[in-house]
Amino acid sequence: MSDGAAPEIIVGELREILARATGREELRGIGDRLPLFGEGVGLDSLTGTLLLREVHLRFGVDVAGEDLNLDALETLGTLAAFIAERTA
Amino acid sequence: MIVKCVIWDLDNTLLDGVYLESGSRPPGADPAMLAAAATLRDRGIIHAVASRNPPEAARHAARVTGLDFAAAECGWGRKSDAVRQIVADLGIGADAVAFVDDDIYERAEVSFAVPEALVLSPEDITDAVGWPEFSPGPVTAEARRRGEMYAERRRRLQEARAFAGPRDEFLRYSRAEATISPATQEDVPRLHELSVRTHQFNTAGDPVTEPELRALIASPAHQVTAVRLRDRFGDDGLVGGCVVRPGPGEWTVTVLMMSCRATGRGVIEALLAWLARSAGRAGAATLAVPCLVTTRNMPLRLALAGSGFRAAEGGPPGPAVFRRPLSGPAPELPGWVVAP
Repeated sequence: MSDGAAPEIIVGELREILARATGREELRGIGDRLPLFGEGVGLDSLTGTLLLREVHLRFGVDVAGEDLNLDALETLGTLAAFIAERTA
Repeated sequence: MIVKCVIWDLDNTLLDGVYLESGSRPPGADPAMLAAAATLRDRGIIHAVASRNPPEAARHAARVTGLDFAAAECGWGRKSDAVRQIVADLGIGADAVAFVDDDIYERAEVSFAVPEALVLSPEDITDAVGWPEFSPGPVTAEARRRGEMYAERRRRLQEARAFAGPRDEFLRYSRAEATISPATQEDVPRLHELSVRTHQFNTAGDPVTEPELRALIASPAHQVTAVRLRDRFGDDGLVGGCVVRPGPGEWTVTVLMMSCRATGRGVIEALLAWLARSAGRAGAATLAVPCLVTTRNMPLRLALAGSGFRAAEGGPPGPAVFRRPLSGPAPELPGWVVAP
């Protein structure tokens, strides 16, 4: 558990998780403002599930349980901020 | 490859409910899973448990199922670590175990980390008792076909994993073809089965009966749609469907369901794009998807979020209506989708 970790550190960990979940190494280099849905990352129902469950395991934050529209998944930056607020 | 050990998840898999959420009355055995497990036990296949629960849960499961577990890994770590630990404890190969879990994530995680293991959903295991992998003796033609279907899926998964590049390129390479068409009366039994068996991609919560489906197909006020999927690895047949009530300003998707066989292959997203195009073409301003939000249908919520749907209020958990405005350019339909 990374209590009170800065969003930048969380973003770094999320990149690792995303690259592992998708099997796409190039995602280790993406920016924190790149949209996760649609072109670019192309998060779908399977990779999104992998990402959220890994976030739950790693940070103890249940994004799906709190965020009806999954707005936290807009970018890695918004997801990191969501996690940081709840682990501070 | 013959399976020697089946490793079971407990919550909503071997047990008919969630152990820690049931207070003083822990859940009983799931009848369908117990029947499959008992059949396999009688063939000499052993059983083990990998569960996100305290160790008491495994003892409870042993009591209510009457099964002897050769190993039990209970805790909050990764399921793939639990599977590896069980394999080591029992001294068998990872290719001699099957792992059964209702959770799409757990299955993906184990297939990724332990590619040798046979990873199955509860829906699969009820079929799988007839597969050659579980049958030392003679097998029926139908069972052999099911076994082949699994082998096709395993080849697809292995090649997809080895494929460097975007998913759409893999779908082109694998010659994936999804066919969206009006459902016919012949589709009714399979559509009913999907409404009972799908949880991760299901909006309704309640199964739709065969008479209800027949009436909906005949009703001029509704459109019932079937989705079929095949590729170079095999033909998955009817994998999904939906029921739509078109209105002048808004189309409402009253039932939306998709088999886990189509998971990760872009089919639910393609169906949502097709629905938005059809509703937009008919002049509707919005497309609505009422949904009973649960922890299990989170993958559906991801597909909705990724397809531009939002709910103004509601769960999680509980009922919510997801809407997508149809102004602006219609969403693209991938080239591998055949649709009216």
